[in-house]
Amino acid sequence: MKRQLFRFRAVIMLVVLFLLPSLSMAQNSDTSRTLFSQDLARLRAQEVVPMVDKVKVEGPIRRSQRLHATELSIKDAKTTYFLLDSPIIKAQEDHYAPVRFNHGQHAASSGDCSVCHHLRPVDNSSYSNHPETVRCSACHQQSFHPDYPERLGLKAAYHQNCIPCHKKQNAGPLTCRGCHLNNVPEHKQLVKLPEKPDPLQVTAECLRCHEDDANDLLHTAHWRWRGASLYTQDQSRQVDHGKGTTALNND
Amino acid sequence: MQLKRRSFFKLAAVGAVTAVTTPCTVKAWESKAPQDSYGCLVDISRCIGCRKCEQACNAVNELPTAARSFDDLTVLDEKRRPDATKFTVVNRYNTGRIDDKGLLVADFVKVQCMHCQDPACVSACITGAMSKHSNGAVHYDASKCIGCRCCMVACPFEIPAYEYHNPITPKVMKCTFCETLQREQNKPPACATICPTEAITFGKRNTLLNLAKKRLHDNPGRYVKHIYGEKEVGGTSWLYLSKVPFAKLGFIKLPFNPLPRLTETLQHSLFSYLWSPALLFTLLGGVMYRSHKKQSAHQPDNTQQPGGAL
Repeated sequence: MKRQLFRFRAVIMLVVLFLLPSLSMAQNSDTSRTLFSQDLARLRAQEVVPMVDKVKVEGPIRRSQRLHATELSIKDAKTTYFLLDSPIIKAQEDHYAPVRFNHGQHAASSGDCSVCHHLRPVDNSSYSNHPETVRCSACHQQSFHPDYPERLGLKAAYHQNCIPCHKKQNAGPLTCRGCHLNNVPEHKQLVKLPEKPDPLQVTAECLRCHEDDANDLLHTAHWRWRGASLYTQDQSRQVDHGKGTTALNND
Repeated sequence: MQLKRRSFFKLAAVGAVTAVTTPCTVKAWESKAPQDSYGCLVDISRCIGCRKCEQACNAVNELPTAARSFDDLTVLDEKRRPDATKFTVVNRYNTGRIDDKGLLVADFVKVQCMHCQDPACVSACITGAMSKHSNGAVHYDASKCIGCRCCMVACPFEIPAYEYHNPITPKVMKCTFCETLQREQNKPPACATICPTEAITFGKRNTLLNLAKKRLHDNPGRYVKHIYGEKEVGGTSWLYLSKVPFAKLGFIKLPFNPLPRLTETLQHSLFSYLWSPALLFTLLGGVMYRSHKKQSAHQPDNTQQPGGAL
């Protein structure tokens, strides 16, 4: 009897142990899910898979038809969010922050996997899970590979696939900055502030490097708000809600 | 000894025969092009005109800071040439090509030293400051340069530039093919590495030629059927593929013969064993001797005539 009770308690505890995290996740499900997918994407971006040796060469129409015949569809695209931050490119250069790529959105809007997954490896065995839709970096790795002179490097493969399509569809970012944010240098070393600085000191320290950005801000509505604040409760007729007036207490 | 009219003609005939036979004994001109050298293939249809190659070149070669940012694409509004402060430039050409929406599509052409297989600048350099390396690079050694600028005159692509602003230690400035990068870090030239679309492909020249031919074959209608640099001036390390005729993109039409072939053949055949100056002076000496003799034969009459008249 005592033993049974012990078992019962153990089962209950186990159940509670498993349920607790999911319950807490349910409470703030949005943040935890994004964190989760962001971490996953970050981990995934670091993976380097073995390079595909030979690809099956077929025309785009044939490939599209064959993919339809295999009943592979957008619903099979399980991973929706990727970070493009491969060590293959980083070994050569590191100028930009990782590009955030919404795989699900692209799959849904194109409706055809073969638009991006334009070729497949000849050999099925090493990619038994999804041999038809291997990742870009399975075939495209190092640039100017002496053994595969006609194969693009990963960086060029991305750009040659993304840029013409964005232009053609007139959708998504059309400039470099649209996808690439500059690598932000670590500010811990750059910022020089005394112990317990006052707000003005902090602003002055920011301005030391970002004076142009500050000047730009002075000409935006954020700084010199001059209109009615229709959606501000009790203050809908207030016209000086800019950062330069009431919204900021720096002066 | 008196040189008679007959013996003079004999001498002249011997001279003429030597003149005809001597060049035959001189060895025929041979190309010194490296066999297993590197090169770059520029696919103009892939270039998006982002000017990153210019930026990378500027950084790697420690060139002076540019007056306008490399992100500023309005620079492309005018045609530029490489000069002492920039080894490579990208120019934009509107040839009237339109896309499927009917919008004008520009072509972007990267200009830099072509690193000829048989470079005219190397042939023209009198001190050996310019040399062709086995990796394909046309190398400039400032320590040997005397600043005669013959290389600038000789280059068919008008590439070498001169530091006119530097009166004490001026140098000839041109693309280095990032030889130091290649040698020390085993890396391709900076412009090729940074190119986002691989419009520049780096590799062995022979591999690149095959690759270019494969692209021409696999994409019928995409390119004009010409690999610029395959045969121009005997071949260059930098090769170009284009959608529109090269003449519309600022490429000059050049002979397929290596330029040093004519100049070096002329020079080597005319000046070997100093036979041509020797012959020239012999002939001139003969003419002088003859006219002198003629003059001295008539001289008594000439000197006496005025006297006789008196």
